[in-house]
Amino acid sequence: MSRSRDVFIVSNSTDELGGVTAWTHRTARLLQERGHRVRVVGIHASELKMALPDAPGHPVTALYPAHPPTPWAPKGLRDRLRVQARRREAARVREKRRAVQRLSGIFRTADPGAVVLVTQVWAMEWVGEADTRGHRVIGMSHESYDYSRASHRYRWIRNHYSALDRWLVLTEEDADSWAGDGMNNVGFMPNALAGLPEVPSPRTGRCVASIGRLSDQKGIDMLLDTWALVAPQRPDWRLGVYGAGEDEAELKERCTELGLDGSVRWKGRTDDVPEALADASVFVQSSRGEGFPLALMEAMASGVPCAAFDCAPGVREIVRDGEDGLLAPAGDIGALADRLLRLTGNPRLRDALGERARVNVQRFSEAETVRRWEELFDFLER
Amino acid sequence: MSTPEFSCVVTGGAGAAALRASVDSVTGQSMRATEALVVLPADCDPATRAAAGRLVTDRPGRVRLLLADGTATTTGALRNTGLEAARGRHVLVLGPGERLQLHACRNLWEAAERTGADLVAGRWSRLTGEGTKEREPSWQQQLFARSRTLARFTDAPELTVRDALVTGFCLRREALERHGLRYAEELSRSEILFGPLAAAAAGRIALVRRLVVTGRAESDQDLTGVLRAHRSVCNALVAQGLHDLCEQRERAFATDRLVPLVRTFPRLPAAERERIVSAAARGLADSVPDAVRETLPPLERVAVHLLARGDADGVLAASYALHRPAAVAAPLVTGDDGRVRWPVPPTGTGVEPSPGIDVTELGHQYRGFGELRLMNRLTRCASEDGRLLLEGHLVLPAHAAPDPGTPLTAELEFRVRDGARAFRFPVTGVRGEATAIHWRTHADLTRVLRPLGARDTVWDARLFVEAGGTRSVSDLFAAHDLLDRADRFTARPRLGRLAGDTWEPYVTLRNHLALRLVPTNRPARALRRLVHYATHFRPARKAQLVLKALRRRRDRWRSRAFKAPAYNTWLCRLPVRRGSVVFESHMGKCYGDSPRALYEEVRRQGLRLHCVWSYESSPQGFPADARLVRRWSWRYLWALARAEYWVDNQGFPQNLRKRPGTTYLQTWHGSAYKRMGFDETRVRMQNAPQRRRLQEAVRRFDHFLVRSAHDVHTLARAYRLPADRLLATGYPRNDALLAARARDESEGRLPRPALAAALGIPDHKKVVLYAPTFRGGPGKRKRRRLPLDVARFAERFGDEYTLLVRAHYLEAARLPVCPPGTVLDVSAHHDVTELLTLADALITDYSSIMFDYVLLDRPVVLFAPDLDAYAAARGSYFDLREKAPGPLVETEEELFAVLGRLKATDIEFRQARAAFAEEFGHHDKGDAARAVVAAVFARHLSRTSREAGR
Repeated sequence: MSRSRDVFIVSNSTDELGGVTAWTHRTARLLQERGHRVRVVGIHASELKMALPDAPGHPVTALYPAHPPTPWAPKGLRDRLRVQARRREAARVREKRRAVQRLSGIFRTADPGAVVLVTQVWAMEWVGEADTRGHRVIGMSHESYDYSRASHRYRWIRNHYSALDRWLVLTEEDADSWAGDGMNNVGFMPNALAGLPEVPSPRTGRCVASIGRLSDQKGIDMLLDTWALVAPQRPDWRLGVYGAGEDEAELKERCTELGLDGSVRWKGRTDDVPEALADASVFVQSSRGEGFPLALMEAMASGVPCAAFDCAPGVREIVRDGEDGLLAPAGDIGALADRLLRLTGNPRLRDALGERARVNVQRFSEAETVRRWEELFDFLER
Repeated sequence: MSTPEFSCVVTGGAGAAALRASVDSVTGQSMRATEALVVLPADCDPATRAAAGRLVTDRPGRVRLLLADGTATTTGALRNTGLEAARGRHVLVLGPGERLQLHACRNLWEAAERTGADLVAGRWSRLTGEGTKEREPSWQQQLFARSRTLARFTDAPELTVRDALVTGFCLRREALERHGLRYAEELSRSEILFGPLAAAAAGRIALVRRLVVTGRAESDQDLTGVLRAHRSVCNALVAQGLHDLCEQRERAFATDRLVPLVRTFPRLPAAERERIVSAAARGLADSVPDAVRETLPPLERVAVHLLARGDADGVLAASYALHRPAAVAAPLVTGDDGRVRWPVPPTGTGVEPSPGIDVTELGHQYRGFGELRLMNRLTRCASEDGRLLLEGHLVLPAHAAPDPGTPLTAELEFRVRDGARAFRFPVTGVRGEATAIHWRTHADLTRVLRPLGARDTVWDARLFVEAGGTRSVSDLFAAHDLLDRADRFTARPRLGRLAGDTWEPYVTLRNHLALRLVPTNRPARALRRLVHYATHFRPARKAQLVLKALRRRRDRWRSRAFKAPAYNTWLCRLPVRRGSVVFESHMGKCYGDSPRALYEEVRRQGLRLHCVWSYESSPQGFPADARLVRRWSWRYLWALARAEYWVDNQGFPQNLRKRPGTTYLQTWHGSAYKRMGFDETRVRMQNAPQRRRLQEAVRRFDHFLVRSAHDVHTLARAYRLPADRLLATGYPRNDALLAARARDESEGRLPRPALAAALGIPDHKKVVLYAPTFRGGPGKRKRRRLPLDVARFAERFGDEYTLLVRAHYLEAARLPVCPPGTVLDVSAHHDVTELLTLADALITDYSSIMFDYVLLDRPVVLFAPDLDAYAAARGSYFDLREKAPGPLVETEEELFAVLGRLKATDIEFRQARAAFAEEFGHHDKGDAARAVVAAVFARHLSRTSREAGR
């Protein structure tokens, strides 16, 4: 085992509801268990709190009590003359300077050679100005290249991460895309699987499960269209939709329109994923965009074979088509329905794919991921 | 220092500064465990040696200096010295002046550790022509598209086919020692051979899509060395039994090295040209295999062939042709077999005479003396008695030479660059020969050529040669060393001597002769500098900035982003003008399709409607009796805002609102084979706002024409159109087809419509229309290669058929040169229905045109080389193989076979075609236009026209 280090994990928020926060605290716990001195820093505390497990074993600091104001960009002459806006801006800058000083102070508590992990590019606004001399700064992006490319974060990443020692995306394919845009300091690090359930799903229930927020990005509308093609041929099968979200009413309406009320079960939000997967025999994912989907990994860990849209490199990385799951071209409803029909119609295929999935997905196990992190820390010291 | 991870071998050779840059890039790596090994020859120049010494003292432990012994003279030997002294786990060799990218070692190391590969290669970039910019070789894009691990080097052919491994890779030192890999010391360019040998020896190879090396300089000075190294690689490949790779390498060598070398010829001095050509002749003699040479494009083939034969003059002409592919640069000869050949003069003894190089593909033979662009080679440019003496000859291909007896006259013209003003000089000594027209003239520049002196300082030369009423225009091609800098002439600008006093002949970047007005006296030079300052530096920049800002503001007012909200908030408040209709077809690209048929019906019935047509770029071809507005112009928006009816076949701009008082008649542009609208995967994967925009745009339709139940199940459902918006009338554009069919049945196919005469199609030739579908996605309009090789078609069926090629309205076709009258590009023709009635047969793939053409009951051939891929990628509504209205073929051979016996297959498919027409065109009865007008414009029908319609 390598020596213990000081590790600072800096993210946008300490307790915002979302995947990155969960990742932050889980990684902090893992590194702590390996003997590293971990400290989590959030730029701000959030209003929409995430239900964090009992008291974290690592110190958590938020630089701002709430989301800091965004910089003022005056438009036109009249805007420039607004005294109040100017004063607000000056106050913002003062606050920011103070926050940066505090961050520098936190970094200085560690001896040189510590690692600063920046989980989201926005936090670089503060980390970039703070004093990180002697430490190694590692940036991260938790979304696929295409998703960044379509948003303002593409420019932010280029501006903030190009001067770093190393920054990480989720898959090698994403890293290649970034390298093609001239970012040569990019590496990759997959997300870790939370845990392996003791008992895999028996795969006996005639239920197809889908887990995800009911929002446009997760493509539940396409899932319903797909199910409309599957249901007539598999009258004894049910589709269990886990999750809640802003599109719920609209989706339920669509479900009724398609005449699927008999075979679709709206299960609501779930906190116990293995439990939800226990009575499912097939898992389906119909997202429009993904990073490195945890739900897919969890389904595989439960030994449930997956059918998914091949919408991002992360999906391809987790599921090997035909080996431990089935992939359909992104957006091709007919193809996804075909995959579901194959899985629901063939118990032997389900068993073969499910068993293999449970074994294969362990390459993303926590132990394996921590090993990769340790390797990376060593690598950056060479 | 402990064992370094990387040892980088750097040899001198490009000077002290380059050495320092290379070493700095090694010691400055983000991975710190790197060492630089500087190897210098024993007889190294003192400056480099001193620089190397300083580097060692400045960075102790990171840089080591090795002095090779006297026997090591070549770069290869120096590198071997470095390899032997290396201590790192991986070794990497840098060429002169090359620099490592900041994170190169980290990326290579990481890949090597993760994959266990012995050799890790990444991208490198090289200096371009002038040496100021860098670019990566184009083939790297494909080789490094994804990071990957190869079990064997043959898995990525580019590694040995191209010179991919001349730099930018590292080797595990342990593997280097195990295989005893060393540079070949007898080769001057040993790195060309070392890379492929190392790749062949190494077990696993990792390719990383990371930039590793920059600043590589590639000079063509040492052609002999490059050729020898290339030959060694080929021999090594053959020794491994990789004949295919060897052949590919020969081809790549010709296009990557030889052709670019030939292209530089006009800029080289004559002696240098001779030197290169003789080196090439020695190294290339019978080395480029015929099989390889034949597969090169014609001009490249000529260049390589002439280079191998050592014909310096011929290579210069080939170089000109490579720069201007439309120009004829040699007296081409047409053989008895109809093939056109580039003649090759006999050279010396021992080399057998060549019959010439086949360049028929270029299609020069189809053009005559006046239409061809002939190379006019300047052979002399000198000063004689204060006048400019020019001598040269115009190359004449045999088929285009004027009759021997024809009197020839010629004139030399100097025309101001980017202007219309020109001065002409008579050419006296014009002498016609079989293969060339020689000419010679004295031009009195001082007296005749009178420029103003400002904004007209550059004048281009052209020669007009007239023979029997046809005139040939040509630029004067000159090699750059032909001109003597001392040949200058007095100039008399109208603004006086201050504007300039001397004419200076020079050769332009395109290798043509031109004159420029230069000042030589002191006041004129000072004035010129002053003017240059004002027009290029601070004052001009200030003015430019102001202008740019003004232009930006003006462009904003003209932009769609400004116009659309202005339309939606303001123009839509205007009162609706009763009885006004805006027509648009294919987003204004043409005057055709169903909107045209409806417009003509409206005119025929004499409806009192105010008709407006929208055009995209040019109003040509649009009806004169309608008001014409350019798409997206303010008039267009005004017309749309006030219109009572919108008639369109594709979609008025999505972001324009349709007001409640307006009726939108969407005629649509064809039944669907591929999935459309919300059935399309691309649309489904769009995010919610994008899909909402499409839904809003489609919701504007008030009437949507359908031709059959198929349309209702596909299009109407895909665009989520309620049933009460559908008009089951068939397409108005197809009325003409049904009328033509009725005429066929009663009177026969002849006489043809007037269009046939306009296109110059004789009655004895059958007309085949080729209309492939759109293959691109949204985005820029691109020129694409057609799936069908029309040149082969012309060769095979040219006597029997005339092929009309119609590219999709969103694309443009690029057609090769074919014999006149065999292939015509009709993509620009407004109305496709007219072409359909003219065509005796149709070739298409998945275009909706087939659904319309079957109404004519004429043969259809579906040529779909990528049917399965297309159907998988775009999705389809039915199985084309099952329902095809004609033979479905997937290769050109099959297509030609079917066309050869069109009549027989036609009878076979008559049944299927009728069923197809019935299924997809059930409502097409030939009166669609009248039915639609009656349904939509009912309120405007006068009593008389209502009765006439009955």
